[in-house]
Amino acid sequence: MMHCTMEDLGALRAGEASVWARRHVTTCATCQQELELLYQRVAQLKALPSLRPPRDRWPAVRAIMQGERSRKRRTWGAWTGSLAAAAGLAAILLLQPSTGQHGQLHAELNQAKQQSATLEDSLKQYDIDGCVLSGHAAAVVADLEDRISAIDGTLAQQTVDVEDGEAGDAALVKLWQERVGLMRELMNARATRARYVGL
Amino acid sequence: MTVSLAVPDILVARAQAGDEAALEALYRAFETPVYNLARRMLRRPEDAEDVLQETFLEVVRSIKQYRGEGHLWGWVRRIASTKALMRIRRDQIRATESLDDEPGKSGMHIGANLDLERAMEQLSETSRAVVWLHDVEGYTHEEIAEQMGKSVSFSKSQLARAHARLRRTLGAEAQDVGGTHA
Repeated sequence: MMHCTMEDLGALRAGEASVWARRHVTTCATCQQELELLYQRVAQLKALPSLRPPRDRWPAVRAIMQGERSRKRRTWGAWTGSLAAAAGLAAILLLQPSTGQHGQLHAELNQAKQQSATLEDSLKQYDIDGCVLSGHAAAVVADLEDRISAIDGTLAQQTVDVEDGEAGDAALVKLWQERVGLMRELMNARATRARYVGL
Repeated sequence: MTVSLAVPDILVARAQAGDEAALEALYRAFETPVYNLARRMLRRPEDAEDVLQETFLEVVRSIKQYRGEGHLWGWVRRIASTKALMRIRRDQIRATESLDDEPGKSGMHIGANLDLERAMEQLSETSRAVVWLHDVEGYTHEEIAEQMGKSVSFSKSQLARAHARLRRTLGAEAQDVGGTHA
């Protein structure tokens, strides 16, 4: 004697069974029992206890969120700050002879800016926004990005001050070099993570 | 597990405005149901934890796109189930699942009195996902098929095979109800 398959039983449960299955189940005790077991199993599944996450993942989510927010700010800062700083400084240096101490500062500044630009380009290949970071790693990345944002803001202000004659070129060079140092740390943090996730 | 989580509109509005405290409140409201959903679908607890984190990163990034159509839990649950299914697909690409639900393949080694949770663990992740999404979360086969990128008949077939496997694992009888009864 043919009995209902599990697909037939599932269709019976969903009210989509064939005419044959609907008729058969009314007369077959075995299939009635199987259908009852199916109902019981689904009820037991629904009654399974709720499983709680063993660890709090909010700190990691928050750290990544804050990192992304500061990166957005930094992007704006880079455009409005760093580029403005570069343009302002270039204008100043063009008006001054590149000899003596000015010449040396000019060379150091160009070098720092070039290194910074190279690191920015390199960082693009480690864009790991979609990957899971540990809370610690995300916090390190977010902290570095915040510090870079702060320097970008200072650079923008410093350029204004230089134009006003209130600060020396040496301060700008120092800031750019500090920025390069932080970019290197950020690069290392991201490169390490990228290797870990197999990018 | 049936979840009916009501979230005040003002909390959603604050979260959409980027209020960190409101975003954390949403996390606290949904962390357990999201983790539970992921854990029931996935075999490894650490994968479920990652899905929890990925889901809330997506929630934080996309909460502005939530238009208030339907319950927020439905929107969050959809993100979570999609993330879990993506992980299943990725794992399937990396390696063939060792515990597929071929009749009798591993059932021979399973006692008849294992509880339902243990029996669920014996299913492939795809089967687990279909069972959980359909029978517990109430997704239709059409919705499951769409999320999995498969056909409706695939979803129905997976569900039937999974129940046949659960039946064999749980039942005292040694009948194979995956096909026809004797």
